[in-house]
Amino acid sequence: MSTTGAPSTPAGLIARIVPENLSAREDSALSRRIEACRAEGRPALVGYLPAGYPTVEESVAAAVALGRNGADVIEIGIPYSDPVMDGPVIQAATTESLANGFHVSDVFTVVRAVAEQTDAVPVVMTYWNPVLQTGVDEFARRLSAAGGAGIITPDLIPDEAGEWFAASEEHGLDRIFLVAPSTTRERMDMTVHAASGFLYAVSVMGVTGARDRVSSAAEDVVARARAAGAQRVCVGLGVSTREHVLEIGRYADGVIVGTALVRALGEGGPEAVGRLTAQLAGRE
Amino acid sequence: MTQQHTGTVLETIIEGVREDLETRRASVSLQQVQRAAAEQTPALDAEAALRGSDPAAVQVVAEVKRSSPSKGALAEITDPARLAAAYERGGASVISVLTEQRRFGGSLADLDAVRRAVGIPVLRKDFVVADYQVWEARAHGADMVLLIVAALDDAALARLLELTHHLGMHALVETHTEEEIDRAVAAGARIIGVNTRDLKTLDVDVHTFGRLARRLPREAVVVAESGVAGEEQIRLYAGHGANAVLAGEALVTAADPAQRIARFREVGALARGEFLDGATPPAAQAEFAARQAAAAPEEERPESLRHAPGPYFGDFGGRWMPESLVAALDELSETFEKARTDDEFQEEFKRLSRDYSGRPSLLTEAERFGAELGVRVFLKREDLNHTGSHKINNVLGQALLARRMGKTRLIAETGAGQHGVATATAAALFGMECRVYMGEEDTRRQALNVARMRLLGAEVVAVTNGSRTLKDAINEALRDWVASVDTTHYLLGTAAGPHPFPAMVRYFHEQIGEEARAQILEQTGRLPDAVTACVGGGSNAIGIFHGFLDDPAVELYGNEAGGDGVSTGRHAATISLGRPGVLHGARTFLMQDTDGQTVESHSISAGLDYPAVGPEHSYLHSIGRVKYEAVTDEQAMDAFRLLCRTEGIIPAIESCHALAGARDVAARWVAELGPEAAAEKIIVVSLSGRGDKDVATAAEWFDMLPDGSHEERVAQKGEKL
Repeated sequence: MSTTGAPSTPAGLIARIVPENLSAREDSALSRRIEACRAEGRPALVGYLPAGYPTVEESVAAAVALGRNGADVIEIGIPYSDPVMDGPVIQAATTESLANGFHVSDVFTVVRAVAEQTDAVPVVMTYWNPVLQTGVDEFARRLSAAGGAGIITPDLIPDEAGEWFAASEEHGLDRIFLVAPSTTRERMDMTVHAASGFLYAVSVMGVTGARDRVSSAAEDVVARARAAGAQRVCVGLGVSTREHVLEIGRYADGVIVGTALVRALGEGGPEAVGRLTAQLAGRE
Repeated sequence: MTQQHTGTVLETIIEGVREDLETRRASVSLQQVQRAAAEQTPALDAEAALRGSDPAAVQVVAEVKRSSPSKGALAEITDPARLAAAYERGGASVISVLTEQRRFGGSLADLDAVRRAVGIPVLRKDFVVADYQVWEARAHGADMVLLIVAALDDAALARLLELTHHLGMHALVETHTEEEIDRAVAAGARIIGVNTRDLKTLDVDVHTFGRLARRLPREAVVVAESGVAGEEQIRLYAGHGANAVLAGEALVTAADPAQRIARFREVGALARGEFLDGATPPAAQAEFAARQAAAAPEEERPESLRHAPGPYFGDFGGRWMPESLVAALDELSETFEKARTDDEFQEEFKRLSRDYSGRPSLLTEAERFGAELGVRVFLKREDLNHTGSHKINNVLGQALLARRMGKTRLIAETGAGQHGVATATAAALFGMECRVYMGEEDTRRQALNVARMRLLGAEVVAVTNGSRTLKDAINEALRDWVASVDTTHYLLGTAAGPHPFPAMVRYFHEQIGEEARAQILEQTGRLPDAVTACVGGGSNAIGIFHGFLDDPAVELYGNEAGGDGVSTGRHAATISLGRPGVLHGARTFLMQDTDGQTVESHSISAGLDYPAVGPEHSYLHSIGRVKYEAVTDEQAMDAFRLLCRTEGIIPAIESCHALAGARDVAARWVAELGPEAAAEKIIVVSLSGRGDKDVATAAEWFDMLPDGSHEERVAQKGEKL
């Protein structure tokens, strides 16, 4: 069927995995927002918060605070029972959210609030099984109806994304795939063709979590993504301070902050999220 | 059948409905209704509410109903909102509100009142024949509408259903006959109601439900409608597998509706539990298999089932993994593909299997055990391998591959510790660093296996996040691997996970089936009638099945862990009761809730205590080649004692599930064929491991420990030891 371990030529891999005539979605809200930041001479600030942490209401308040204090794009995470790409802070938060009764359909409430109450562009970050169980097309339809712009898929590679290609085209959503320092040249080319909105460059081989310094591998991943034709590349994993934002902003189009925001929310509530966001955005 | 058969009652009602509809449309335009619908908060998920979080539970759809054509006025409902709130308090999952005016005395005002009063999904129950009514339902806050198949032609049904879904609502698609069920399924219905009331005579025949239930697809949410006078009908419907029952008259006429609902849920759960325990596996599996076979043209079935290469096995398998690990999976695939055609690798694997593990393992006829069952039983003795189980086969194979890839460190997950011990063994043999992830609870209960791993030089990490079980140990190993993939091989212990693991792990265990086939031919001169093997992730099972997959006369049985019983929710019967999803890199059957969150599994045997299963098993189930049946803790432990006492072999509790499975097959043959014919039958059982590790659990189960002994303090009944 689709994947095998056998190495392929880039063209072969693209032809095998990426549907023909897939739109690049250069004019999507997400693409345009990142282009606008570039025009302002700064990286887009992308903030992550899990839906339903600590409750649905407070996650709405936190996401709105994020949006009103300088985040350009907001990733709303869907808490999941088996988050293999997440470090301890986000695991603890999403576990708490689930314990407090989070349901997948609550994510649309949070997305809608971001869309209606802030200028930020909302996207969803989710492991794939909750989407599969909702129905890929159904999930896409509801996300689009709630004002969501796309989905970041940490455990869905283009190789398995057949249904998602169709649903994202049908409902006008961006496909934000990840690339990593280990991504081969062939897979980089293929993933750039499959993605839209922006490409999520993982800065380090590891899971989410604030780190003192951002790996130098990040710059290399971004350079390789650009060489493969990527128009917009944002860097995530380990970003926690304004210094990181400035450093990454020199070579990437956007900077993704997660764990530091989740920690701020846990320690100081939505207000603390607002304060940290303002710092990260250079507004203080 | 199309709508001509509807009979006069339904036709007459619908005539009135159309007239009333035109009156409303004249005062409120479709555009106005659409605007009102757009302003509503999004619809609640009625499908999830009707499925519920516990598969054995029965949900109640409680109806606000003033009168009915069959009974006339039922009750004076002065305050529908208060009644609905009482329903919600009593545990109703959905409130149904009749809005038909002429015969049922309902109204949209009732719907509005109920909507404001409850936080659970609300069903607009009416005779929907036009798009306008669906928009209207949404505009008034309904989460669900009723679509009656008998009142609609195929095109209208499909269109109304699509509009309903488009508006974020669900539809209860009501059927009365087998033909209507087929039409509902073809239209894409997800929630199917079976109404036991005859549309012409208005008589209710509750036994209709059992007859029609067999026709219903397994993935549909099934709602039994009509005829619910009391607990007896709830038992009947739930006993035939209804997910939910709709009750109206019995509730509006009850003194305490809330209490009545709670009672309905209780008796319903008991009956549905029995249904799941007994009827689901054979009935639903046969149906699922038939559907799969019908869906997949014969020519797509491979000629041989024995060497499926992956990444896909039918609809199952794949690589649902983070991009960070894909390069490592590619490297592993490539190394494995080269190794299987490389003489040097083959030689080394064979030499280690022979001189280190002690292969081939014996095939022992269990004469006294077989006599108890009434058939001939042969045991494939994987318990005699070095480290005491089949696990060593896979571990040696993967460690050889790791060395070829230049990796110097092995990581692994383990439940009871058997795979961890085997991995630590291979690491010691190959001079590699080794870290084993193990749920925190298991490290406490399996203190001796933790010590074994440490003696062998491995580091054991207690996993304290998530549910602290095997699945979380796998999550933690994956997190380690993402950060260490340059130097580290993840030595996954079962035929699950992303490609190439399922095909590769099977490959290293194929010798079990190949040896067993040759040995049984040599000892008896013929193939066995059945093979049984326990299935957690399913590595020993896929290994022994491999030998017989292309022998259609050999029945193959995978025995899943039924834990406390499949009706209790405390089990690991993934294929019997789960549904397809994605976990740990593969699309396969999973134990999960409606949101796709993994549900915790339970089994006395830690080796089977896993909420997913290898994707090749999901495939073999889907084509009906292997039957998967659940074995409870109690059945497994009975087989444990029987084997100990008849054969002088203490088996692993995992393997006892296969022994108990053989006992079930034997009992069926004795009943169907008579004792004499059954005595000629041959069953090969995969005795995948020895039971030394399980002695404390078994001693506690059978109450054999002296009072106050240390083992008793550690062991508690049902614990994973």
